[in-house]
Amino acid sequence: MNSNRSKPHGLLAEFHTAADIFEAAMRCRDAGFTQWDVYTPFPIHGMDEAMGLRKSPVGWFTFCGGFTGFFTGMTMIWYMNKFDYPLVVGGKPLFTPLYAFPVSYEMTILLSAFGTLFGMFFLNQLPKFYNPLFKNERFKKSTDDRFFLCIEATDPKFGTDVTRTFLTEKCHAAVVELVED
Amino acid sequence: MNAFSRQTKSWMALGGVVAVAAFALFGTLPTLGADAGSAAHSAQEVAHGAANHGAADQGHAAVSVFSLKQIAHSYLTAYMFCLSLCVGSLFLTLAHHLFDAGWSASIRRVTETVASLLFPWMLILALPIIGFAWTGNLHAWFKINPADDHALDVKKVLFNPMAFTVMVPVLITVLGLLARQIRAWSIAQDKDGAAHWTSKSRKLSAGGIFIFAFGVTLLCFLLMKSLQHQFFSTMYGVYFFAGSVWTTLITLYLLTMWLSQPGRPLEKVYFKRQQQDLAVLFFAFTVFYAYIHFSQYFLIWNAALPEETFWYVRREVGSWKWVGMIILFGHFFVPFLLLLNQDIKRNMSVMIPVGAWAWLMQYIDMTYNVMPVLHPEGLHLTLWDPIFWMGMSVLLGRLFWSEYQKNPPYPLKDPRLQEAIVHHEVPAPGASAAH
Repeated sequence: MNSNRSKPHGLLAEFHTAADIFEAAMRCRDAGFTQWDVYTPFPIHGMDEAMGLRKSPVGWFTFCGGFTGFFTGMTMIWYMNKFDYPLVVGGKPLFTPLYAFPVSYEMTILLSAFGTLFGMFFLNQLPKFYNPLFKNERFKKSTDDRFFLCIEATDPKFGTDVTRTFLTEKCHAAVVELVED
Repeated sequence: MNAFSRQTKSWMALGGVVAVAAFALFGTLPTLGADAGSAAHSAQEVAHGAANHGAADQGHAAVSVFSLKQIAHSYLTAYMFCLSLCVGSLFLTLAHHLFDAGWSASIRRVTETVASLLFPWMLILALPIIGFAWTGNLHAWFKINPADDHALDVKKVLFNPMAFTVMVPVLITVLGLLARQIRAWSIAQDKDGAAHWTSKSRKLSAGGIFIFAFGVTLLCFLLMKSLQHQFFSTMYGVYFFAGSVWTTLITLYLLTMWLSQPGRPLEKVYFKRQQQDLAVLFFAFTVFYAYIHFSQYFLIWNAALPEETFWYVRREVGSWKWVGMIILFGHFFVPFLLLLNQDIKRNMSVMIPVGAWAWLMQYIDMTYNVMPVLHPEGLHLTLWDPIFWMGMSVLLGRLFWSEYQKNPPYPLKDPRLQEAIVHHEVPAPGASAAH
């Protein structure tokens, strides 16, 4: 129990302005850290680039969802109206992509949305019930007027003292705290 | 001096286009007389169809290429293409003010200038169309007595020669003056930087968007849809609008990209983010156009009323069917699938061909609307098509350029300009050490 508590989760650095954390993010990126994140009360334009994040692959989930939706719609209507139970309605052909299009189009949107939402959950591992940062009292201000950057202990370049020095001296963090797991 | 000679050249070129149309108009009057005397208004179409099957003599086929009808229809197709760029630019200008947008402030002078071509240039270029119509070479209903044609009788309030002659120039003038007024206020702001010019433009845009919607709808009803006056479609106006803004956006994308190259006027005010935004809008309008055109087709297909279906039935004859397929895939599926990827939207080796392709698609779309009336047997391109299309585009391009250079290349003191200029380019890895 006690040994478990002493294991560090990471170093939490606090900043007072968006510009400060933006600068700090670029320095962390350039220092080669990989296991770190920023927490801000509002989105900061350009932060993705400042953090050196790759383009999100969630678009591929969207595309696969949409693709599946479109062809599910088409196949479903073909199966029902032409194959399983052929019935002439209004003198129209038993199957044509034309009248199947509105439904397929809606299916495309539905499954694209599902692909996006669940793809996003899958990629960022949400929902997550616990994060050590929630125990930190200062961190509560991340939804108010403070900007936080956390370098996690799992980062190969992490070293409690070295990283603390890096955050205070190179990144000019206002406060740096060790967060335990 | 330089601007003067450029202006003169533009006038000469405009004179050239109108002169070609006028020469064609008068040069073929004897043919017209013979046609009118010999048979009903569709006689030439029938003769043309026969010529294509090799049944008619050489002389007749040659006349049909140089016939006034061919020239008139090619001219109208080119005109509708150019009109779509002007009204698309007017829409983007109005939308900028309506949304109180910041990001598009630095490229607004371009759309303002293109939209201002409506008056007087597009008005002058519309005059031959009215001439063609009066001489019975364009809209069949000019020569039909409404008493003999029920479909015309119920629409004669709008579709009568007098209404056409008055409304077409008036509508173009009103839209053109709307564009010019907003541009004039924008230029006035360049001098004193007062914010009230922006709020004036916003108020005018609020009313102007209604004038725009009704004006553009009526214009494309009168000029293009009434070629087959029996047709009904409430989607037609928005269909023309969607294609117009689509073409305008990719044109604007390439134009602003060129204007922001090192040493050119927009270099310091136009950035990748705005380029990306234009491409995203272009992508959105790719979908919007398809949505609108499909809706028009689908509702007509589903209701299956003969007074509506005939319009598409005629466009499924011969090679028109394949033209329709080209529009379906080329206007929608190809650009849609291509532009899904966000990196493509900034990739010039893809976007430049997409721009050329979009121009071709819009022209083919206009051809699809205009030409089946003249050539029911299938797509039939003549020399007139590229001559008028390229001639008119180059002419308007020159006029745009000379107008654009007379004033600052972007709204210098627009209150929102700062938002457009503040860009979020982040230094690449390693660059932060310099700070």
